[in-house]
Amino acid sequence: MRGARHARWAAGAAAVALVATGCGGGGGSGGGDSGAVLSASWGDPQNPLEPANTNEVQGGKVLDMVFRGLKRYNPQTGAAEDMLAEKIDTTDSQNFTITVKDGWTFSNGEKVTAKSFVDAWNYGASLKNNQKNAYFFGYIDGYDKVHPDSGKQTADTLSGLKVTGDRTFTVKLSQKFSTFPDTLGYVAFAPLPQAFFSDHAGWLSKPVGNGPYTIQSYTKGSQMELRTWADYPGEDKADNGGVTLKVYTDNNTAYTDLLAGNLDLVDDVPAAQLKNVKNDLGDRYLNTPAGIIQTLAFPFYDPQWNKPDSDKVRKGLSMAINRKQITDTIFQKTRTPATDWTSPVLGKDGGFQDGLCGDGCDYNPTEAKKLIKEGGGLPGGQVKISYNADTGSHQQWVDAVCNSINNALGNTKACVGNPIGTFADFRNQITERKMSGPFRAGWQMDYPLIQNFLQPLYYTNASSNDGKWSNKQFDQLVNQANAESDTGKAVQTFQKAEEVVRDNMAAIPLWYQNGSAGYSQRLSNVKLNPFSVPVYNEIKVG
Amino acid sequence: MPEQPYEPEGAIAGTGMGGAMDLGASEAVTLEKTPGGPDGTGPAEKPRSLWSDAWRDLRRNPVFILSALVILFLVFISLWPGAITSGSPLTCDLAKAQQGSGPGAPFGYNGQGCNVYTRTVYGARTSVTVGVLATLGVAVLGSVLGGLAGFFGRSWDSLLSRTTDIFFAIPVVLGGLVLLSVVTSNTVWPVIGFMVLLGWPQISRIARGSVITAKQNDYVQAARALGASNSRLLLRHIAPNAVAPVIVVATIALGTYIALEATLSYLGVGLKPPSVSWGIDISAASPYIRNAPHALLWPSGALAITVLAFIMLGDAVRDALDPKLR
Repeated sequence: MRGARHARWAAGAAAVALVATGCGGGGGSGGGDSGAVLSASWGDPQNPLEPANTNEVQGGKVLDMVFRGLKRYNPQTGAAEDMLAEKIDTTDSQNFTITVKDGWTFSNGEKVTAKSFVDAWNYGASLKNNQKNAYFFGYIDGYDKVHPDSGKQTADTLSGLKVTGDRTFTVKLSQKFSTFPDTLGYVAFAPLPQAFFSDHAGWLSKPVGNGPYTIQSYTKGSQMELRTWADYPGEDKADNGGVTLKVYTDNNTAYTDLLAGNLDLVDDVPAAQLKNVKNDLGDRYLNTPAGIIQTLAFPFYDPQWNKPDSDKVRKGLSMAINRKQITDTIFQKTRTPATDWTSPVLGKDGGFQDGLCGDGCDYNPTEAKKLIKEGGGLPGGQVKISYNADTGSHQQWVDAVCNSINNALGNTKACVGNPIGTFADFRNQITERKMSGPFRAGWQMDYPLIQNFLQPLYYTNASSNDGKWSNKQFDQLVNQANAESDTGKAVQTFQKAEEVVRDNMAAIPLWYQNGSAGYSQRLSNVKLNPFSVPVYNEIKVG
Repeated sequence: MPEQPYEPEGAIAGTGMGGAMDLGASEAVTLEKTPGGPDGTGPAEKPRSLWSDAWRDLRRNPVFILSALVILFLVFISLWPGAITSGSPLTCDLAKAQQGSGPGAPFGYNGQGCNVYTRTVYGARTSVTVGVLATLGVAVLGSVLGGLAGFFGRSWDSLLSRTTDIFFAIPVVLGGLVLLSVVTSNTVWPVIGFMVLLGWPQISRIARGSVITAKQNDYVQAARALGASNSRLLLRHIAPNAVAPVIVVATIALGTYIALEATLSYLGVGLKPPSVSWGIDISAASPYIRNAPHALLWPSGALAITVLAFIMLGDAVRDALDPKLR
């Protein structure tokens, strides 16, 4: 009888829980409550949310929800598919005619026209607006006038962009770039409404876009409220009522909140919990391959790290890192040791080449010690690896990398971690060139092309070339690859450029990262796209 | 603080300082030899001083004996950590991460495969160094400033009192986060400096109060009347009789400074790796609490025992030095 009584209590409690979560009991077949709002973990973006000024993941997450561009990367395959583009025509891979679909508006009612794109791109490219992603417009004719490497700009708009009709515009590139249309899904190419230009401050405080969600409010350091835009004209309408992005400065707290039922979705499962996550969440844990590679970048602006023999030190450091042991132990095999500078999600045809790094990525303590000695030793006798402490369990792996280096070099103080509190602060210190040693440089692809793993990171003065590495041979090969109209040949040329990165060890590849996420019982149909970002609009609540 | 055992003028002052202690001219003789020395406990046949009395009490206090043994042990391993460990606290083998206790590692291994036992033993040095030096600094600075203010009074006193008010208004952890986050040096000195900076007002208030009490005593007035200089009054007549409360508070505070060091290191602004500190280890182990609780519990336990030992010692010393509590 006691048992039966307990059972009744449990059933009662379950019923209460079901009512509380708004689950009518049907479950399964039902589509969930399309009005319900879910909460998800997040971190403050580094910059105000201008599409052409956001080159980091947290801001990118939001822009991906409130903007739709000409192309969109398929949430499953990553393939670039037409979104607002009705068609993109070219005969010579250099001159493109783009037709925008009819019927699209911004959430403030304004129509999305060819001008919305051209104005946005001109804004993003212009030197005076100082946009981080300006570089993405670099292949459009006239870029050297609006964004010269030095001196004042001599034009305000790109001469290669011309509005030819309400819904059509032409793009003239300064050279052939066969995969240009595939890059147009990147958020920097998003259209912008007139309000962006006429009331810039007002727009920044509450960005207006054309995506399935609208921003309702944002409190820095706390949370951002996004709500479904009821009149969204696209086919990928949100299946939920909105998303509350909550700022966490520690992913362990977010995970604990998820277990406690205070949070619905965590897209960064802490490394320390990877042993428990299957137990805790069962099949509500996702672990899928993603286009992310973690590397250690170097401050090439610091003469100590840019001596003629420094490449030996860098290669030595790379060989002192026992990648397999760290991915097995710290990350419980949710990372794969890297053997090139791209990502397996590209596939062999896309440019991923297993083992391109060669012996430079193999753990070999004796050779590492020798190389570092040959290269003149560690600058200042010690390397400090800087990282942000708020996401990604970076402390655990940086400590492990340091221990691995210390053990290899037989010096317990050869390497130390240098934690920086928040991601935004970490990014700021990097952009202000304050790094004095290697620093964490994770790269989440913007679009699934090998070009995106190389050019933005290692091309001279590229947007995310945080270490300011510069190599003429590499630049030349990249230009050559971009000019190639045959995709296969282009990929091969990019791989040659990647070999230049390898020979100089411009950055130490660490591991390929999987996207990992955990979610509450309220949610269903949770997926991570190849960028490891949750596909928010497809999540069903209740 | 009633008893004035080392007061040469005690005889002159008469009975000002209560009973049994100022029995005699013989004291004046003793004191010629040990001027102002509070630790001199005089020959056994002599009437007991405050200090010998206190020592007699302490010796019989099991709390004191226990905490003193713990502290002696801590001091020992701080000086010679290699005596009971082998290997460096910075040598970590990831292959052993999160393992339980094994040969050579009675406390097991932490998330990075470092030997928890070695790290806990080496962590004692940081804690004891910070605790002792911060306490010394606070006690010296606080009693000098407080003593001078109490002795000279007037505007000096007002100035000091308002200054201490200002320092009292600074929240310790917040102040630490702000001040220490700009420090790049990874040694114990900034942490100690910060503690002295924020800790001295407490001692200075106590020293001030106790100097004010002492300076109103008849023997001080008498010495003044005999033409003693300010420095003589302060050093020979007032200081020895005002120092007891400072010692009591400082001993208790020592424990809290050790806890504060761990707190600051836990928050990432105190000592930073590769320094070895219990706070750092507690911080690093806390995410692994479900899988490797031992890595968290041993340094936490060591910290708790150490802090407790110093606070208990302070308590015992207070009981012994403050006859009002008897």
